[in-house]
Amino acid sequence: MPHFDLAAVLTDEFRGWLLRGLLLSLELMATTWLLAVPLATFTALCRLSSLAPARWLGFVLVEGIRNIPLLVQLLFWYFAVPELLPEFVRAWLYEHNAEFICATCGLTLYTAAFMAEDIRSGIRAVPITQLEAARALGFSFLASMRRIVLPQAIRIIVPPLISQSLNLWKNTSVATVIGTAELMYQAQRVETASFRGVETFTLTTIAYLCVSLTITALAVWFQRRFPVRTA
Amino acid sequence: MKSLLQVSSGTARPGAAYMGAAHLGVALAGLISVQTATADQLADIKQKGELVCGVLGTDEPMSFIDPKTRSLVGYDVDLCAAVAKKIGVTPKPRQLAVAARIPELQQGRVDILAATLTHTKEREAVVDFSLNVFVTGQRVMVRRDSGITKVAQLAGKKVVTVKGGTQEPNMRKAVPTVEVVTFETAPQAFVALQQRKAAGFVNDEVSLLDAFGKLGDAQKDYVVLPDSISVEAIALGLRKGEPALKTLVNDALRELEQSGQAQQLFFKWFGPTSRLKYQTRSFKIDSDRI
Repeated sequence: MPHFDLAAVLTDEFRGWLLRGLLLSLELMATTWLLAVPLATFTALCRLSSLAPARWLGFVLVEGIRNIPLLVQLLFWYFAVPELLPEFVRAWLYEHNAEFICATCGLTLYTAAFMAEDIRSGIRAVPITQLEAARALGFSFLASMRRIVLPQAIRIIVPPLISQSLNLWKNTSVATVIGTAELMYQAQRVETASFRGVETFTLTTIAYLCVSLTITALAVWFQRRFPVRTA
Repeated sequence: MKSLLQVSSGTARPGAAYMGAAHLGVALAGLISVQTATADQLADIKQKGELVCGVLGTDEPMSFIDPKTRSLVGYDVDLCAAVAKKIGVTPKPRQLAVAARIPELQQGRVDILAATLTHTKEREAVVDFSLNVFVTGQRVMVRRDSGITKVAQLAGKKVVTVKGGTQEPNMRKAVPTVEVVTFETAPQAFVALQQRKAAGFVNDEVSLLDAFGKLGDAQKDYVVLPDSISVEAIALGLRKGEPALKTLVNDALRELEQSGQAQQLFFKWFGPTSRLKYQTRSFKIDSDRI
């Protein structure tokens, strides 16, 4: 085995590939996160709703998505879903970086399903009497959620939500299988071109770890700064 | 690694903690000795009685899984068997991903590579190559309705291929402005072309013509562009610094050529009765020039 030599994978060319990969991974996480949080909130509210069809919808979304491996879902979103779309939508998709869009769709649903459960349990952790009191005072369901329940629930919800964001960050690496040029994809390219697998994946590990630890630190900080207030 | 082993066995005294350390040392030494192996790999192969050949298994007709017998078959698998026979051991093909070939060989998880491995100058730094066992070009398949007739017309377009091979660098060399998207296996990339996710699908000529042959009636919708983007000399891959094994592998290959078996193997997998329908064989197994 050749000597361990990080410089061999830090030439201008390889560094460029890896940095572009890291940037795309971060973009993938940010886009997914921004789409997943509203979708998760919606799904959680569906599951808590008094309307039976809404509850069923939330149930099907969460249980359907959580119980299928992410790898399978991404391959499905890339190879199967576009085939079901009308011709003009598909043509548009293939003109616009289909690899990134399909990865975002798959990751968004997957992340939202887990986040929805965290949000739902956060809301359920606020005593039901708070909601009942709000309703008794004449607030509508949505208004009592927005003004009474959610502000209390947020302190409970955010730490697990950050934890889900950490999972999301790690899950972006699966997108390499559908040709999304994120960090893992570029790392494999560098490995192929340099034959320096150990060095390449050492660097990649460090990059993933740095972002992961930043997210973890954020979770710790939040829990200290905004501890859960017991009602 | 010897030194680590000595250090840890030197410190091993009766006592659980020290025993633990010694075990760890032995385990580490064992792990790493797989990579550096003993002085002679050939002796190791003879001792364990089997030759583990890394093959792709997703690259018909080089190596693929026969749907009837569910076993690995193909040109590469037959070459592996011929080499194993020469050594006097059992051939044992093991499936690898394209990108994992060289790392798996370096780390000793396979003895030789018969995995459509192109002999390149860059790879000579990390692996040894046998005589060339196949010579093929790399070409591009496009959909007929794309109107593309030459490789140069792919400028600024997206092409798909498999990760970890020479296809991506060769394609970028041929057309610098092309966008390349890679997948774990060649069949996945081919599906992406069929689904119009890209303008072209790059692969070794044999694999490409085989894929084209499988299209059946749909062949009329696809064209394999006439110009090659490179000429690839395919060889068996060996670990560096194993002269005894390399000599023996090359002897086995020369014997195949001299006895006419190499010719038979070629026509078995690539000849007129196969999907590829090559009428002649344009190379001989007699050199390792690239």
